[in-house]
Amino acid sequence: MNRGGGMPVAMVLLGLVGWPARAGAQHLMVGPQAVLVDYREVSSGLRYSGSGFGGVATGRHGKLSAAASVVRLTLDPTDQSTAGAGFKATQLDAWVGYDVASYASVEVGIIRRTADPEFAAQSLGALRVGARSTYDLGPGATVSFRANYLVAPKFSGGGRASFSIDLGLGLDVRLAGRLHGVVDYAFERVNRKTNPGGTGEIDAPIQQTLARLGLGIRF
Amino acid sequence: MTTGRLGGLCLLAVLAPAAGRAQAVQNATLRRAQQAYDNLEYRQALSLGQAALRERLAGAERGRAYEVVGFSYAALDSILKAVDAFKQMVLIDPERQLDPNRVSPKAFSAFDVALRQVLLVRQLRIDSTSFVAGQGAVPIRFMVTQPARVVTRAIGGGGGGPANFLVDSSAWNGQVNLSWSPRLPNGDPVPAGTYTVVVEARLGQNTFSASQQIRVTHGRVDTLPHLTSLPGYQYLPETEIPPQTWRPLGLAFLYTGGALIGTLGLESGGLGASSKRELGVVGGAALVTGFVMTLRTPAPRPAEGNILYNRLLTEQIARRNVDIAKENITRRQQVQLTVGPPLKTGAPR
Repeated sequence: MNRGGGMPVAMVLLGLVGWPARAGAQHLMVGPQAVLVDYREVSSGLRYSGSGFGGVATGRHGKLSAAASVVRLTLDPTDQSTAGAGFKATQLDAWVGYDVASYASVEVGIIRRTADPEFAAQSLGALRVGARSTYDLGPGATVSFRANYLVAPKFSGGGRASFSIDLGLGLDVRLAGRLHGVVDYAFERVNRKTNPGGTGEIDAPIQQTLARLGLGIRF
Repeated sequence: MTTGRLGGLCLLAVLAPAAGRAQAVQNATLRRAQQAYDNLEYRQALSLGQAALRERLAGAERGRAYEVVGFSYAALDSILKAVDAFKQMVLIDPERQLDPNRVSPKAFSAFDVALRQVLLVRQLRIDSTSFVAGQGAVPIRFMVTQPARVVTRAIGGGGGGPANFLVDSSAWNGQVNLSWSPRLPNGDPVPAGTYTVVVEARLGQNTFSASQQIRVTHGRVDTLPHLTSLPGYQYLPETEIPPQTWRPLGLAFLYTGGALIGTLGLESGGLGASSKRELGVVGGAALVTGFVMTLRTPAPRPAEGNILYNRLLTEQIARRNVDIAKENITRRQQVQLTVGPPLKTGAPR
């Protein structure tokens, strides 16, 4: 995997960690997550499905918002898969957003997914640039939709991607007092192309759907 | 005019008051001097009067003794000595006044000369009056017997501690007529209460003062009460509960549909249809939440129109209260003041 994405990751994480102390968050929420995931790569025969766990943290100060999620995934080949063995993956997602309207914000962030064993699947690192729309469904409930373009993705197996996108659907519901239920859907599509042996580019797309189901304590 | 005729006039002058005063005289020597004077025995009256002055006399009797001595000297044509005696008399009783129609010209002349040779403030009079504050004044009259710097003050007042108002400070001689406008520097009337008008005359080292108490009372002032509301206008609630709508469910459908359409549209044909399990879980949760929120009573939201209306109403009431405060200040300053003698307290009925 290309290690060049380390600097942006560090910058975003530094901002995320340093932000509450700097500005005094209006709210901060942390909590655990359970994850459902479906992963496909190169062809319809290479399919994995699995689950995992992780944690999420979100915060807001005025028009500035931030979120980060780290999940550990265990993926196994599906029945229709030609893959012989599964693998584990760790995925980090982070966003920093700025409200441009009461219902819309622009955001930047990162995505970093590493596979274990390293070459069982493609590891991915990219920057995110996109927008998010958030609406109140009612007291204590918000729904959001986001579209992020993944900029300059890097892969552990090399190659490039002319088009990479990440769509998301989020829901935050206050269950009781400070306890919130947080669910999030992410669809990731990366049009990866490789040129093995210089014989010409071939398509090696990556597609993942992921659902995070979690609880959060809001401070 | 002969001494005998002059004595007769003096007798006429003092006979009537002397008869009353003789009964009140306690000192025997003074009483005998009075009787001697009444009997036209001026030398004996003079010697008895002087003898009485050497005795222990109360203030009024001492003044009376000087009067007998003064009249006796005048009757005996010793005008200078009569003047001296009369000076002592008026220093004891500054308000003492002789009727020129009833005493001998010699005695009156000596008395008049005596008055001009001592510094006195006499006949301080403050007439009862009633007027609107700012449109009238309290008349103050007195007499100063010598040219002097005269400072007139009004001291006292109602609550808030004694106040000291300068009425006048000028050089005066003879009859003086002043007027005091009983107002504070800010235009308000002086507080109701009892004031002492003090007239102090100063000529070189000599000073003399006279005072008189007055009572200042205020009439009723009909001030306007401050407003807490305007008749016919009520404050409106600043939040309102919006009507229940299908908007939450619609939004949930919209967002979930967007995610579904995006997923379907961006799926790679080569990788096959993606799993909808994840979207089903999250989208289902969003739709359920939207449905529940549709059934719930919406949260109150600010009613901008009512907030603006209340703000305008508050400003209008505040503006009206400012006008009322100004009006009340004017009304208080134009209170009816009544000036009269102080109330007698503790007097037996």
